[in-house]
Amino acid sequence: FPAAPPPGLECLRPCPQCLSPLFVEAWRECLVSLDPRAGRGYTAVISPQDPTLLIGSSLLATCSVHGDPPGATAEGLYWTLNGRRLPPELSRVLNASTLALALANLNGSRQQSGDNLVCHARDGSILAGSCLYVGLPPEKPVNISCWSKNMKDLTCRWTPGAHGETFLHTNYSLKYKLRWYGQDNTCEEYHTVGPHSCHIPKDLALFTPYEIWVEATNRLGSARSDVLTLDILDVVTTDPPPDVHVSRVGGLEDQLSVRWVSPPALKDFLFQAKYQIRYRVEDSVDWKVVDDVSNQTSCRLAGLKPGTVYFVQVRCNPFGIYGSKKAGIWSEWSHPTAASTPRSAGCGGRQENSMNLGGRACSEPRSRLYTPTWSTERDSVSKKKEG
Amino acid sequence: MSRREGSLEDSQADSSVSLLPHLEAKIRQTHSLAHLLTKYAEQLLQEYVQLQGDPFGLPSFSPPRLPVAGLSAPAPSHAGLPVHERLRLDAAALAALPPLLDVVRRRQAELNPRAPRLLRRLEDAARQARALGAAVEALLAALGAANRGPRAEPPAATASAASAAGVFPAKVLGLRVCGLYREWLSRTEGDLGQLLPGGPA
Repeated sequence: FPAAPPPGLECLRPCPQCLSPLFVEAWRECLVSLDPRAGRGYTAVISPQDPTLLIGSSLLATCSVHGDPPGATAEGLYWTLNGRRLPPELSRVLNASTLALALANLNGSRQQSGDNLVCHARDGSILAGSCLYVGLPPEKPVNISCWSKNMKDLTCRWTPGAHGETFLHTNYSLKYKLRWYGQDNTCEEYHTVGPHSCHIPKDLALFTPYEIWVEATNRLGSARSDVLTLDILDVVTTDPPPDVHVSRVGGLEDQLSVRWVSPPALKDFLFQAKYQIRYRVEDSVDWKVVDDVSNQTSCRLAGLKPGTVYFVQVRCNPFGIYGSKKAGIWSEWSHPTAASTPRSAGCGGRQENSMNLGGRACSEPRSRLYTPTWSTERDSVSKKKEG
Repeated sequence: MSRREGSLEDSQADSSVSLLPHLEAKIRQTHSLAHLLTKYAEQLLQEYVQLQGDPFGLPSFSPPRLPVAGLSAPAPSHAGLPVHERLRLDAAALAALPPLLDVVRRRQAELNPRAPRLLRRLEDAARQARALGAAVEALLAALGAANRGPRAEPPAATASAASAAGVFPAKVLGLRVCGLYREWLSRTEGDLGQLLPGGPA
């Protein structure tokens, strides 16, 4: 064979490999397709090539052998799909050089790169291949939720749609625009907080609503979510309160004092912070939540068990920024802070000025003696500005 | 002239290059690099076949071994060549691999976009092939056995034409390139081992 194709000469017969410079000596490949006795290259063509199909649909494919070498006819050819030989009753010889295949009620593709449908010669050698993409069009993405960290960015999350699995690679694109003007923008930082999320890091406007939606596209079609309209100020969250300290209240065996600092990132903005505290016994998974801690940076927990280690966390909700009437979004919980209540004075020690418990063991729960309560201490410097 | 296997001492006798400790250290270092990259190439191949789906991962899978532009597998006669000639062929193959690996990566980015580890391995493989090829060429230069004259540029691998090919041939091409990558790394490791004092490591 010549080493290179003569200038201007084209392959005289359909030859999938002739267009690819990655296969050296394309002319040789072309000649191989004309003369399979050369014994190299693909000597057949599957039609259709790389089709896209709906789950449950049918496929009629053909494997056409090129050239006229001894033994290279449709007789003896067979099909495999993803490495598994297909039953012969699904195949039919159409003519001397063509074997047909009929597949019905197709299942979703096993891998996103496509199911491998291969035509084999009698000796098992591969003559040609085609990749099937069987799946579903995307459904409308739903449940878009967004939040802004300290009014600096916007992160959105969504759910793919009722069924989720399309069996095809589905591309999701988060779009946004200012409601009254401006062009469509596309979010670029995906998968920041899960597989269906996107992060817009900067250049966000305040006091004007955004329209946000998600477009889903795959080989079988596209779908668009409903539009979510929001103002950045209505979806603000912030960092957990820093510097959470938990300490004993003198010798009081059933109380702990919790102090924290308001999140510094929002300290210059008008807002009314709400806080929540949760605490649990060291070896328990059940948290008790203290709610409605408004605009204060300290709290006293009471009704606790003496001589017990407690873990405490605090979180913040910066509602009402710049007059926003929305509820705000809770921050993450602060890192757990641990402290222990003093041991009960009646536990093996001298009892001074304490109730005579009449022989009650220290390990018995004290919950029958009083109802757990909590109290707050107003911070000396109020951050609340009357508007 | 008979062909014979060569070691560093033979190279010295042939080219009258005095033994330098740093050269021996460089050979060992390059040999270790080749050994490490051979293992990475094996991992790349395993991940590649897994993501293409069966039959690519099956032991019985035997696609047509189509030639690849500018690169062929090590010839059976390779082992009988003088060590310098073998290393020149190794360096040439390592220089031809990166554009092919880039084409495979671009195609896999379309076929397996949610496989970041495979895409990263392909990107790393191209970089590592360049690095090892450069190290082998530096060794040849130090041994006085570098190619004289301009080196032939490997043919440019055209991504657009790769995209035009069907998906199945593209998968097979990628398998072929990853396989050639592993073969040439393994070959380079063996040839460098021949340079070490005492023979193969």
